[in-house]
Amino acid sequence: MNLYQPYLMRIEEITDETPDVRTYKLKFKDPKVAADFNFAAGQFGEYSVFGEGESTFCIASPPTRRDYIECSVKSVGKVTQALRRLDVGATLGFRGPYGNSFPLEQMKGRSIVFIAGGIGLAPVRSLIWNVLDLRDMFKDVTIVYGARKVADLVYKRELAEWAQRTDAKLFQAVDPGGQTPDWKGDVALVPVLLEKAAPKADDAFAVVCGPPIMIKFTLPVLTKLGFPDDRIYTTLENRMKCGIGKCGRCNVGPVYVCKDGPVFTLAQMKQLPQDF
Amino acid sequence: MTELRELARKLLADGSVKVVLGYEEGPRGVRPVFVTDPAQAEKLIFDTRCVQNLAAYLNPRRQHITKLGKAAIVVKGCDARAVAGLIRECQIKREDVVIIAMRCGGVVRDPAGSSELTVDTVSDRCNGCDDREPKLHDYLLGVLPPPPPQSTRYAEKVAQLAGMSPEERWAFWNEQLERCIRCHACREVCPMCFCVQCTADKGRPQWIDCSATLEGNRAWQMMRVLHQAGRCVGCLECERACPADIPLGLLTKYVAQAVERRFGYKTCDDPAVPAPMGTFSTDDEQEFIQ
Amino acid sequence: MTPKIISESALAALVANLVAGQVRVIAPVRAKDNPEHADYLPIRRLEDAAFNGPLPRRSLKEFFLPPTEVLLRYRQHKDGVDLEEVRTTFPPQVILGARPCDAAGVEILDKVMGWDYRDELWFGRREATTIIGLACPGVDDSCFCSAVGLGPDSTKGSDLLLVPCDGGYLAQAVTPKGEALLNKEPLQAAPDAAAGQTVEALWQGPREKVAKNLPPVPSTLPEWLAKSFNHSYWNSLALRCHGCGACASLCPTCHCFDIVDQHEHYDQGERRRNWDSCQTGKFTLHASNYNPRKTQSERFRQRVTHKFSIYPQRFNSLLCTGCGRCARVCPAGMNLPEILGELTQLAGTEVKGASE
Repeated sequence: MNLYQPYLMRIEEITDETPDVRTYKLKFKDPKVAADFNFAAGQFGEYSVFGEGESTFCIASPPTRRDYIECSVKSVGKVTQALRRLDVGATLGFRGPYGNSFPLEQMKGRSIVFIAGGIGLAPVRSLIWNVLDLRDMFKDVTIVYGARKVADLVYKRELAEWAQRTDAKLFQAVDPGGQTPDWKGDVALVPVLLEKAAPKADDAFAVVCGPPIMIKFTLPVLTKLGFPDDRIYTTLENRMKCGIGKCGRCNVGPVYVCKDGPVFTLAQMKQLPQDF
Repeated sequence: MTELRELARKLLADGSVKVVLGYEEGPRGVRPVFVTDPAQAEKLIFDTRCVQNLAAYLNPRRQHITKLGKAAIVVKGCDARAVAGLIRECQIKREDVVIIAMRCGGVVRDPAGSSELTVDTVSDRCNGCDDREPKLHDYLLGVLPPPPPQSTRYAEKVAQLAGMSPEERWAFWNEQLERCIRCHACREVCPMCFCVQCTADKGRPQWIDCSATLEGNRAWQMMRVLHQAGRCVGCLECERACPADIPLGLLTKYVAQAVERRFGYKTCDDPAVPAPMGTFSTDDEQEFIQ
Repeated sequence: MTPKIISESALAALVANLVAGQVRVIAPVRAKDNPEHADYLPIRRLEDAAFNGPLPRRSLKEFFLPPTEVLLRYRQHKDGVDLEEVRTTFPPQVILGARPCDAAGVEILDKVMGWDYRDELWFGRREATTIIGLACPGVDDSCFCSAVGLGPDSTKGSDLLLVPCDGGYLAQAVTPKGEALLNKEPLQAAPDAAAGQTVEALWQGPREKVAKNLPPVPSTLPEWLAKSFNHSYWNSLALRCHGCGACASLCPTCHCFDIVDQHEHYDQGERRRNWDSCQTGKFTLHASNYNPRKTQSERFRQRVTHKFSIYPQRFNSLLCTGCGRCARVCPAGMNLPEILGELTQLAGTEVKGASE
């Protein structure tokens, strides 16, 4: 067994989130691996489609649910398109968990605001469920989520569930022009939705993930609300191959996204050169 | 050389071009230089060590060069054939480049070596060259030197290969291609390899093995050489760049000879002359699909 | 351990013993296709080696990180996928006559290969290999090993270093593996070196010769590079660079690789890792077609910064051994010693300016 050899996993369930995003629920084939497997919210893995290659996805399910892991995949390239041709029962490979994670311990006893756009909800979802599964350990939970149009919203079932919860506040929106006649949520860009949500910054963390343009306009709102740079977290993506710091591909200046990330604070991001 | 420097200075000073692509003396012999400041035109040289084919830098995908602005390029005959090829294949427009052609008496193999041109030092690309006074030019500079010493080295090697049985030839190339590490330097230095996505890099679908296995290396070279058929100008930059010292020129020369036999065509520096692989003619011989 | 003086015949006997014991011996050998070149290749007898020949074209990297290497094999069937493991232990081998710049490269790469995750394929080969270095007379003015903290008689990466001298070679053990060789026949009987015979004394000439090529890279360079991502120097430095990656392929310390799946048949194939280079256009190309390093200028900046800033800041070691192959092979005349000289000047003037 060498460190590039993946665990084998079976696709248990496939959910179509949007026309090009699918969520895969995976179980380890080896029960011993399943029993020993542990990870933290924010970490990622290298998922194999044998014959096509490996691709990097975050683990989108929470560590509090131990039977399975999930990943949400947009079909963009060779491996992700090949993944789309697989059915329930097919075998994938998995190497991981790799990378760092959200600072769950630091967040305990405090409030958290989750802000996401489009498929950016995937890495954040792991932490959202992690927190909701341990709800008593946290103060206020606010979720601000938007997508271009209704069809692009991911985890629609869970959004409905979160909307019903009394221990979390959900704000969801689609961009102006993206609503359907029966859309009940807001119609606004995510930064505007965040202003409406106006979460308190005292003793609170913010976790942001989404398309670069959304992040660009969301950060000033968080700053205005009073969130300091070292309590705003985000995840970075970069082209990866090995996931373990050896192939030299994912570095952003001196930082290896696979080892020093993918979770970074805004304070750390501001130190990074424009190499991503 | 004074002529060249004066011209470069003038073209940059009056704004006709923003950059002159030429040759300079580097720490290890002659190397390409990009002169953007008229005062730096002094750097430009032209002698028998000016081996590199600068046409590769005209590739429109090299954005850090195109953003410098309109270029003037110093060319020898072989380089002019490459510029003509780029124009012929619509990669650049004739009016977008100023061509400074140099009358050429041949170059040595090694730009870092001696400038003395002998039958042993002369580059194999100079064999049989009839573009010593490039016809494709805006300016034609220099005095026509005597023709380069004609080495029979390459012709002998090609004839030797042609005389081998298929099994012997197969064994020869397998031995050579075992050393290939798929760095693709041969592709990157070639002016005619300008595809945005090379077939070797395609994943959907995958055409050839991208690993440095013998099968993959053979597939890569065969594909590269066939894609060059009727397009390769015989500058031998691929062979010079190869870090594994594979005699790539033997392959491209072999295919060029085949194209000449079949279509009566040799690459030339006239963009108006159509190339066999890029043109369809109802007179094309069709005996292979009777 | 006191160095010994090993005669040519004792060394020949060592080679013969090793070969007889099924240990592969690799040494610089004149290339068949061109005797002006040399390669590190297996030998059967000491006389097949070309110790006084040219610097081998390729470094020792490929004996530990092959240009292409199978990571696993897979076979698909209706119930799933079977994976076949590849070996991580390897038969013993000895590299005899390694240039110090090449031996040092291997040791420098141990750091990244052992960073948190231990690369068993790399270390499996490392453990199976004994490196006997041979002090180098210096190649030409593109050598700059002494500028990067090494030298033509550096012991870094060697288990045993041989330095040519009267009577054969001075043999200096560097590691326990090297000591073990000296304590075994046929080398055990070799006499100890005299008091004045040291590596230092014997090789002063070549050291001085190489030192003339480039002054030492300043210790402030990694930090300066880290701060100079947007410096205008990078804008025009790499105009002539084709991004061909020939430099990376010959470099003793360039280690970047790609991982690909290769179908051999409709239901089975191999996962391989292949040499790759940050100089290629598609190295950082995202599936969305976005590329953070779109032009050669940015890619070349990455190469220099990785070698002289990122790696040393993390692992305390420059990612360069000064062998000069990059400068010799580059078809476009990119010259690392020249660039280091320019960066040293820039770093010097700017650091001075900052303190005023």
